[in-house]
Amino acid sequence: MPGITEPKDLIVRVRAGDTQAWGDLYREYAPAMFRFCRRALPTREDAEDATMEIFMKLREKLARFDTDRSFTAWLYKVAANHCWDMLRRRKARHDKDTEDVEELPLEAPEPNQLERLIEERTGEEVRKALSKLGARARMALVMRYYSDMSYDEIADALGVRRPFVGVVLLRARHELRQALTENNALAVGGTR
Amino acid sequence: MSDVDNANEKHPDEITLLLYVERQLEREAAHEVSLHTQTCTRCLTLLRALDRESRLLTRSMVEEDEPLPARLTEFHDKAKRSMQWIWGVVFGLAVLGVYALYTGYIEPWEQQLEQAGFGGSNLVSLLVFQGAFWKGWQSMVTLVELVAVMSIAGFGLFAIRRYLRRGAALAVVFASLGLIASFAPRSSASEFRNAQTVEIKKDQTIKGDLFATGEIVHVAGTVDGDVYIAGKQVEVSGHVTGDVICACQSLRISGQVDGNVRSALNNLTITGSVGHSVTCFSETLTLDPGGKIGKSLTSFSESLNVGGSLGRDLLAFFKSGVVEGNIGGDLRTKGGSLRIADSASIDGKASWIGDNPAEVASGAKLASPLEYKKFEHRSGADRGAGYYVWRVIWAAAFILFGLVLISVMPLFSREATDNVENVGASFGLGVLVAFAVPIAAVIACVTVVGLFVGLSSLFLWYASLYFAQIIVGAAVGQWILGRAHETWGLIGRMTVGVILLRAGMALPYLGTWLKIAVIVWGIGAISLAIYRRLQPVMAPSIPAVPTAPLSAPLPPNTTVGGI
Repeated sequence: MPGITEPKDLIVRVRAGDTQAWGDLYREYAPAMFRFCRRALPTREDAEDATMEIFMKLREKLARFDTDRSFTAWLYKVAANHCWDMLRRRKARHDKDTEDVEELPLEAPEPNQLERLIEERTGEEVRKALSKLGARARMALVMRYYSDMSYDEIADALGVRRPFVGVVLLRARHELRQALTENNALAVGGTR
Repeated sequence: MSDVDNANEKHPDEITLLLYVERQLEREAAHEVSLHTQTCTRCLTLLRALDRESRLLTRSMVEEDEPLPARLTEFHDKAKRSMQWIWGVVFGLAVLGVYALYTGYIEPWEQQLEQAGFGGSNLVSLLVFQGAFWKGWQSMVTLVELVAVMSIAGFGLFAIRRYLRRGAALAVVFASLGLIASFAPRSSASEFRNAQTVEIKKDQTIKGDLFATGEIVHVAGTVDGDVYIAGKQVEVSGHVTGDVICACQSLRISGQVDGNVRSALNNLTITGSVGHSVTCFSETLTLDPGGKIGKSLTSFSESLNVGGSLGRDLLAFFKSGVVEGNIGGDLRTKGGSLRIADSASIDGKASWIGDNPAEVASGAKLASPLEYKKFEHRSGADRGAGYYVWRVIWAAAFILFGLVLISVMPLFSREATDNVENVGASFGLGVLVAFAVPIAAVIACVTVVGLFVGLSSLFLWYASLYFAQIIVGAAVGQWILGRAHETWGLIGRMTVGVILLRAGMALPYLGTWLKIAVIVWGIGAISLAIYRRLQPVMAPSIPAVPTAPLSAPLPPNTTVGGI
């Protein structure tokens, strides 16, 4: 997990009703959690709401948390489930998300073209392209490359069979490349 | 390494290469891919590109491109927690304080005003619906409605914002505005006059309300509606079928007003007739012997002379007052001196609160003897135990007020509290705001258009007098107990600080000066927080994220292209 150590002591204190510890826990994890939601959800407002709701859930669920497990992994799982539920409830997913992932045709890229495409891409460009993806593709990429969640965890959160997580991720990458290409074309066109 | 891109060679597909990069392939399959990429440049290039793509994705996602929004920084303070018993006590005391405020101050006033002809069963209806003084708002009803609807719409949108996409939110806002516009009333028959001298001639009739501003305003004709005037010299010698609402230097009513007269001015002279009641804030008020008021007169004047006829009660506060005419109802007066002349007659009860007994002429006709009560000037030495009990109750009410404010605006309260430590800026700005805002608000009230802004500003300014004490109290609490990092910590420190401040304010003589200093200081701190909020915020610089090296460890016991 990005730059976070396990806060076992804090969790014990929060469970004992220490409000200061709760504040510390929040301060420690809120920025990372907000970033997760910001990447996974379409708007900043959604991300703010989701972050608050995740911490409210966290407060309720913390008593049942098994301290032998990784807290950060558990927290990201809660966050991923929450964000995905949010997107599903709103039916905000793009039509292509409803397609059967088993039938997705995937054309292999030309290796040198792919090299050129990702070469010298900035984080900002990728994030911009990410925001154009369908909800499932975005969620999959965020879970894998931001939260470092396992394929099993991603399968569980997205409700797909484990063998198809790779397909979902690959399709997401294809969408991302397409968005990056379009952005690049727009930028070139704009400078003319 | 050699290229083996012949037709018989079977290349692993992209998903297989991705799973290999992601370390998701079975050991045997991973070994096959490893062997293949030792001899296939194309697949090796694709493998490396996929790996670089993974790193690019991770790097771009973990970059801290946005600071945590202010809304989230204090969120944990809002988490539900049980109220401690002390807040129950504070709440109980505060309720008691509000009840005492109502029964001790508001209710007697309400009764007096009701007797003075305002009617109404409670203060809210008195102010909003029954109080004819506020009838002036009717002319602005469209604006008030608009503001009300927009406020409600704003709160509504805020409440459901999570369910709205940005486009949908905009659509709702514009649809609401369109709806409001479609409901807007058609143009009224109101007439607006603005000139150096505004005159409604004797043979002229205006159907509808008249809004007039000018140095000299003379209504000699007929206005079939209400008249709103802001001017210097104003005279109504004609006929007004509605009310006269006036802010000016001097107003003379020599004609006929069928409704009420509400005014804030220097001099009011009535030689004609007013069908209903008169309310006046003035330096001098004179009801000439020929003048007549159908109902009640409520006056806050330095000098009052009632020579004419009054249908109902007289409620007046003045420095010097003279009653020479007829009062059909009760006389309730308070002030410096009162003289009731021979020609006076009072049909109801008469009471007088003053420094000296009223001078009542022997020929004056009073239905009952004048009740006199000496005005009590309380000093600090006269304070009994009850005074201190009420101080405790008021302190509790303050704490409750502070609790609500800090809970509702935790971040703003913290900023304002921090500003208290900036003594020079807070005091300087406090002096300016504490004295300039009410002056500016009163000036704004003189104009009809500025009335809403003026009254709103006055209300906010008055509320800030109390909020200022909360803020300074919180700062004092922090000086004693240390800086609070949570909202409830700040509330606790505010409680301690407010108790100390209120105790200090209870001291004779010194307390008054302390109170003034605290209010000025606090208002300055609040103003400074508002000022800073209005300044554009520069985004903090984004720390550069070091680019991860592209040589990632591959699955154990595998090699890539023989490297």
